[in-house]
Amino acid sequence: MRESVCMSSESPQDTLAERRWLSALAKGDPSALGGLYEIYGERIFRYTFRMLGNRSDAEDATAETFLRVLRRSTELRADGAFRTWIFRIARNLCIDRMRQHKLLDLPADAQYASGEDRTALKVAVHQALGDLPQEYREPLILCDLEEISAKEAAEVLRISVPALKSRLYRGRRALRDKLGEAIDKT
Amino acid sequence: MKDLDLYGKLVDLYAGDELPTELRDELEAAAYGNAELSHEMATLKRTVELVRGTPRPDFTEESFHRILMRLYTRGVPPQPTAPTPSHLQYRLPISG
Repeated sequence: MRESVCMSSESPQDTLAERRWLSALAKGDPSALGGLYEIYGERIFRYTFRMLGNRSDAEDATAETFLRVLRRSTELRADGAFRTWIFRIARNLCIDRMRQHKLLDLPADAQYASGEDRTALKVAVHQALGDLPQEYREPLILCDLEEISAKEAAEVLRISVPALKSRLYRGRRALRDKLGEAIDKT
Repeated sequence: MKDLDLYGKLVDLYAGDELPTELRDELEAAAYGNAELSHEMATLKRTVELVRGTPRPDFTEESFHRILMRLYTRGVPPQPTAPTPSHLQYRLPISG
């Protein structure tokens, strides 16, 4: 059985460091933002890249996320809620940007990683994910790609855990249906 | 109808590796003589595996620094404890 992973890439050292930086930031030390960026920068970048589909927008959204963390540092709580809070900030920024993209019809840069990873099936999966309605895509990104627990993903999306799981399961089925024969051939 | 709903929910849990081992084995045994259920389980599980196996966006050293520069230009001087995290500095030639 797959373990319920809670921000699995974090080590206990990260958690301790996170508390230290959050405490410093709450006391008005802006340099603490660098420490938080070291812990969360990559995860927020990956999440925003998956939401937005291109590197430049993901870099902008990541920077803006940390700026908002600094601006709203008086709301900080070092009780574990920071993780869902920062993801929620990133999500809101992505949604704003996606609305702009829709208006401007900007193309997505689908290039995630190095060329050898871009087999036809992986590209098909990536495209099918991108074609899913947002309500299905987001739970898949958070739970299956970023390995965030259902509870935390529900908090990020501000929905109940049963609603999150319902969307997750429907999203997987919708994705399977989109992939169609490609799945049968694997 | 209730059976179909129940199987549907079990298949969802099966695909996400959320079933306890005993239940998983029971479901696999039930699917043995049921081509439709077997296909449902296999394709959904494969879909989840494919999604989870999607390559991670590459957080390069360049991206790390470009984001820092964006913060600097907005008047925020974040000070990382190291110039670049070590895992971004060294790329080991490991594949597979």
